[in-house]
Amino acid sequence: MMFQNLFSPQKLGKVEVKNRISFQPHLTNFAENCLPSERHMYYWGERAKGGAGLITTEEMSVHPTDTAYEKLVEAFHPEVIPGFRKITDYVHQYDTKMFCQLNHNGQQCDGSISRLPVWAPSPVPDILFRETPKAMEIEDIEEVCRFFAISAEHVRQGGFDGVELQFGHSSLARQFLSPLTNYRQDEFGGSLENRMRAPLMFIKAVRRAVGDDFTLGIRMCADEMIPGGLDLAQVQEICVLFEASGLIDFVDLSIATFYNLYLVEGSMHTPLGYTIPLAAGIREKIELPVFCTGRINDPVMAEKVLAAGQADMIGMCRALICDPFLPKKAEEGRLEDIRSCIACNQGCIGRMGVNRTLGCVQNPAVGLEKQWGEGTLRPAPVKKKVMVVGGGPGGMWAAKMAGRRGHDVTLYDRNEALGGQVLTAMKGAGRDEFGVIIRNEKEQVDKAGVKVELETEVTAEQLLKAGADTIIVATGSKPKAHPVGGADGAGVYNVWQVLDGQAELGEKICLIDYDGHHRATATAEFLADQGKNVHIICSSLFIGAELGPTQDLYLTRQRLLGKGVTFTPDIAVMEVSGDIGEKSVKGFNVYSNAWDEWGPYDNLVLAMGQEVDEDLYFALKGKVKELYRIGDCVAPRKVDMAIWEGHKVGREV
Amino acid sequence: MTKTAMQMLVLLRETCDPKPPARLTADGYGVRERGLRRIANPADLCALEMAMQLADSNNGTVTVFAIGPDRLDDHLRLGLAMGAGRALRVWNPAFQGGDAVSEARLVEQIVNILEPDLFFTGSRLLDRGGDPAPALASANLGRPYVTSALAIACSDGEVEVLRKSDRGARQRVRAMMPCTLLFEADSCEPRYPDQDALIRSLDITIEVWDRPELGLCLSVLGAPGALLGKDKCSFPRVNPKRIVTPDANLPAFERILALLSGGIKPRQGNVHAVSTAQTVDMLYDIFEAEGLIGGGGA
Repeated sequence: MMFQNLFSPQKLGKVEVKNRISFQPHLTNFAENCLPSERHMYYWGERAKGGAGLITTEEMSVHPTDTAYEKLVEAFHPEVIPGFRKITDYVHQYDTKMFCQLNHNGQQCDGSISRLPVWAPSPVPDILFRETPKAMEIEDIEEVCRFFAISAEHVRQGGFDGVELQFGHSSLARQFLSPLTNYRQDEFGGSLENRMRAPLMFIKAVRRAVGDDFTLGIRMCADEMIPGGLDLAQVQEICVLFEASGLIDFVDLSIATFYNLYLVEGSMHTPLGYTIPLAAGIREKIELPVFCTGRINDPVMAEKVLAAGQADMIGMCRALICDPFLPKKAEEGRLEDIRSCIACNQGCIGRMGVNRTLGCVQNPAVGLEKQWGEGTLRPAPVKKKVMVVGGGPGGMWAAKMAGRRGHDVTLYDRNEALGGQVLTAMKGAGRDEFGVIIRNEKEQVDKAGVKVELETEVTAEQLLKAGADTIIVATGSKPKAHPVGGADGAGVYNVWQVLDGQAELGEKICLIDYDGHHRATATAEFLADQGKNVHIICSSLFIGAELGPTQDLYLTRQRLLGKGVTFTPDIAVMEVSGDIGEKSVKGFNVYSNAWDEWGPYDNLVLAMGQEVDEDLYFALKGKVKELYRIGDCVAPRKVDMAIWEGHKVGREV
Repeated sequence: MTKTAMQMLVLLRETCDPKPPARLTADGYGVRERGLRRIANPADLCALEMAMQLADSNNGTVTVFAIGPDRLDDHLRLGLAMGAGRALRVWNPAFQGGDAVSEARLVEQIVNILEPDLFFTGSRLLDRGGDPAPALASANLGRPYVTSALAIACSDGEVEVLRKSDRGARQRVRAMMPCTLLFEADSCEPRYPDQDALIRSLDITIEVWDRPELGLCLSVLGAPGALLGKDKCSFPRVNPKRIVTPDANLPAFERILALLSGGIKPRQGNVHAVSTAQTVDMLYDIFEAEGLIGGGGA
């Protein structure tokens, strides 16, 4: 076997897990009326079917004051038990063990949802929720203990194999442990012994409720990474003491807090396996099995971590959201079939951040496993001749899905390689991993039997002559030709021209950002890396306005500042003018309405929106039996929608 | 009846050569047969060599015995070729699945029947480490036993044994015969039998004893006689490979930078979607930069 350690069993308390891959707890927003839903069942079931050894549910609330978000399952209600049963029965049929995570989020809650005061060790507002909590009285702590115990009983009755208590990045327990959030003067604050008192009470209450024969573990924050907070050395000491209590069976790990959420959910710019040093540090000190999670998205790295003894279990979260069948493919040695997560954070964390249901840019079936999961694709009743024009992600997905259904599919692209706009976008600074989207699908397009015609600019006449039953137009979009007055002047380029090396640039550049996404900031960084003097003018409050939900904003700004890029926000640019070397930008402040002019610059780079490439579609409209258009050529959006539409059309033709 | 010569009995056990990688069975209760190399336990061969040397100097006789299926005849023939006068194999499929307690009952009964003056075997097994069965059998018989033996001298119904003690120290102990001696694997170099001895060993019949010869009830042997619970095997926990963890004394900002610049794979340049020709060029540049090609020699 290729991955001996990864596919060896591991004991967690009384439970033996068949392999070392754990699908880690994460929000889904799939709950209905604060109860587990059918969507949960199929979602987790798909990962069990895919071979994960262990699945731990998203956090389940233990108390009415714990309302971090609206669609939280409330495990303290006995009504959760039937739903739990359905989920665990479904998952267990695939020989996968299932734990339930219980949590009270403490200060990291929103009282406007529960209409109750937020509870915390001290009245310290969380940086994200900004709500001053009520300092918990002793009776409150005891009540939370009781509710932890009640919830744990429901977990056991629900058929789970174990329970994990969230003491990590978002939890009341961490707030008690951390000097950053615990200012108490009583027996629950001050010394480490005192700060550990409440978390130990939670553990004891749960252990008493579930009994000695039930697996119980904790998820610790390995390092809060904030001045005055817990660091690795302190967490090592805490873990040693928790282990010495004899009450827990494993230690799962997370990192950071909401002060630095970009570390909790590291995006594409964070290194693969960035938390491994922390897991190894904890594992050095304790004998209990230790989990390591954080951008471990391929089995080779997972095997290395296990072989080096840096962790006992590998937590995979986004990797299995993206490809639920990663474990099975790794076990069978089909590495080329693994759809690697790129940590773009757009479909998963990005959607969660704006309170939508979980998704994935590369896996449209997330949350729709019942309809679109493994085994739901049916062969086409009639074999058709399908032509797909445009080999970007949308076209590739449409061709792949149609090919898998048995259609005779040909995919045309005018470029020398498949990938469309992704091939350009991945040239932005630190965005090279974006190209994995194409690498993941290329092999699958071939395996689906799709004929690929590259460097072929097909016309409507050619397509009609070829006699296709179905034509799918996925011709994408291009930067707007004239987004602002003077944009057609000399020395003005769009971001695509810059990244593709078609721009002759001087030293002093002004980039106008109406995009707010990587298109602008990654191009600015690309230029700064070449030693250019870059200034960004944007219309929003700050540059990278769209990068917040994906946890890219902080590090992007940090890098740009480090590379000497300067910013002017709040400006509506109305005109650009001047010759090369003397380019200027004219606009007004959107709040004060004061006009101003910036310059001179050698060149201007515009990230001011895209326009559809729809000529082929309209040339074919009304002349083909079945005609579809998908992705950016419908309306310029992001890659997730192109893949979504490609997948959908490929299934339906 | 007076004994005319010192009688010695040597237990030969089979072990697996631990050098080829072992695989667990699917149920996790044992080691897969496939790919295993079975050999005579080296410490047992040392014990046989010590017995042969004692027999040569004291006009004694040596009997070798093994407990197991007929593939163990190979080990017994090796014992005969080394000079043992008699070979005995004890087996019944019902003996399988036992533990140290039920195996000790077998050894005890064999020693009881043959009544040797000295019972020899190895202190440890090459693959599994300690085997408590011989010591347990001796204890049940009320015979003294000496572990970790390195050398032996014999006089007036008494043996003087040089044995390994703690932290490399040596200790001399005396024991009255009959007794049991468990030898270390490095106590001596077992003799290498010549071709003639090997051929002669083929003519000697190996006696096979079954349950009737032993006179033991099946309920105390094999799996039914086992007292120890069986638990699944697992590979030992690997000690963490030392890697640099963020220095807790550093400010948080510095710790974050340390973590983000580390990780198992460096972030930069781990994915390139380029043509084959470009890939070759890039690899060439990397190899050249690393000094693997070109440079001074080119």
